[in-house]
Amino acid sequence: MAGEAVLPRRPTRLVRSNGSGVGRLATARLIATPIVVIGLLALLGRTLSINNVLTLEEVLGLAVFAMATNLLLGYGGLVSFGQAAFYGSGAYMIGLSWLHHWMSFWPAFVLTPVVGAVAALLMGLIALRTRRLYFALLTLAFSELFYQLVNVRYSFTKGATGIFAVSMIPASLAQPRTGYYFTLGVASAAILLLWKITVSPFGLVLRATRENRERAEAIGVNVFRHQLLAFVISGAFCSLAGALFAVYGQSTYPDLLNWTTSGQPLFMAVIGGMFVFLGPALGALLYQVGFQYITQHTHDWQLVLGGALLLVVLFRPDGLSGLVLSNPFASLRRRIRGADSGVTEAEATSILEQVPATVTPRSVDQREQMEVPPDG
Amino acid sequence: MAETLLQLYDVTRSFGPFVAVSGVDLGVEAGSIHAVIGPNGAGKTTLFRVITGVLRPTRGRVVFAGEDISGKRTHAIARRGLSQSAQITSLFPRLSVLENVQAAIVSRSRRSSDVASWFHWSTRAEAIEMLERVGLASSAGLEAKVLSHGDQRALEVAVALATRPRLLLMDEPTAGMSPFETEAMVALIAKLRHEENLTVLFSEHDMDVVFGISDRVTVLAQGRVLADGTANEVRANDEVMAVYLGAPE
Repeated sequence: MAGEAVLPRRPTRLVRSNGSGVGRLATARLIATPIVVIGLLALLGRTLSINNVLTLEEVLGLAVFAMATNLLLGYGGLVSFGQAAFYGSGAYMIGLSWLHHWMSFWPAFVLTPVVGAVAALLMGLIALRTRRLYFALLTLAFSELFYQLVNVRYSFTKGATGIFAVSMIPASLAQPRTGYYFTLGVASAAILLLWKITVSPFGLVLRATRENRERAEAIGVNVFRHQLLAFVISGAFCSLAGALFAVYGQSTYPDLLNWTTSGQPLFMAVIGGMFVFLGPALGALLYQVGFQYITQHTHDWQLVLGGALLLVVLFRPDGLSGLVLSNPFASLRRRIRGADSGVTEAEATSILEQVPATVTPRSVDQREQMEVPPDG
Repeated sequence: MAETLLQLYDVTRSFGPFVAVSGVDLGVEAGSIHAVIGPNGAGKTTLFRVITGVLRPTRGRVVFAGEDISGKRTHAIARRGLSQSAQITSLFPRLSVLENVQAAIVSRSRRSSDVASWFHWSTRAEAIEMLERVGLASSAGLEAKVLSHGDQRALEVAVALATRPRLLLMDEPTAGMSPFETEAMVALIAKLRHEENLTVLFSEHDMDVVFGISDRVTVLAQGRVLADGTANEVRANDEVMAVYLGAPE
């Protein structure tokens, strides 16, 4: 065997290969995690005060927004500053349908992902022909175009005034707890779908294009087409998140399309951790709860926000979920390395399977993670 | 004579006024190991980049398995069964060793746009088998970036093989390797040719490697074909020796 001549090695760093089939323990965890989390959130909907339920409802919508954006950022390595265009189009789909009597709430709600997908297809077809900075700038330009259009066309969109009306959503959903359970149901379904996409063959190839564009092409992958598909999926879910905002806020206004709105899901993904599936959801929770708490004490919310972002990028580029998960990783590696010759492959695999299923293969090497992969 | 798998006709590539590759005719027989040698700047890498579609030829045609592929895009050429490993190590560094191979299998199986299935999980056995062939099965769970240089090159071969290529194109497969690693790579190429009946076209600096395993050798100098023949014929060619003595590596 020629392979035997290859240098001997020992495990230096171990990662879970979660694209490659999982063991029984990990499977149990995969099934248990959503049941426990959704069950807990359902319980909170009954026990929390109305105010807190509303906060949680907003967090759920933002979590979908952040995770849909992270399909591009964390999995595809694409920094889009145009996500607000899709988020806003979802909210405006609900608002305008009500304003112009196009259709009732339910068909409009069901159509929002389609609207977002079409908008993303058009934007992606052009923006994805460029790379990196130029891609970010083009997406930014597109979303500002949407923003200005909505601002200017007063007769159609009510311009900067926005559309505020409780009756844009069904009366039942306007009740806080019912609205919360509706949002919980939709957000859970959306997040489960997004999860399935990230662990599909497409998800694996998308991460490959993030890692090395030229190599992906060399194995026969049409990178443009795959990035476009990711962009369209992301747009659809961002639009759905925008519709959830309309349910929560019973309003829609041009700021939802502004570039500051595009920054939010990026911020949440970075804070929560873009290399862990649920990281952006954690970021959404911290962002919203932090916002409420901090604005009670100071007006300098933006200052705190910027400071937090600075600290995360400098010291913990894989976000807070990376911080939480780094310790189990460290002890795991010690266990395997300590018994270098003693641990069989099967044992090592079974140890690896105890790592939470939400962890995507990644190293604990922080700095290298933040590097935008070479685009070729 | 066996069938010709890859044929270049008058392939020329210039960058502005500089002609990197000039009127190259070259035929690679199916099942052979074919080496392209030449001093630095002879145009070897440019030639390979034209074949793989990274660069368009300024003039001339590239015919692969009877089909004109000149000017087609890289991924389209790869899908026709022409796989490559580049001069500089090119992997998916933060994917696991196993996933590197699985990504190639998914792509080859035309399932890379599949968002709903678990197809890639069923590729595990095949991916492990690929890794066994290059001696990396025990590293399947590691991130590709932590492998040694030699192992990374071996993984590249596994990734290339996972696309089930008809022709494997290797640009300096032993560049930057220790003598020990070089020996392992040479053994691997010889083994693959023997076991998979793979056709290999590679460029190389190391003359021992070239004459050790090649059936046919093409010598490039300043973008042109200087000599072409069996390993023994080329070794006996005075002009070739002059080029190498005049411009020692």
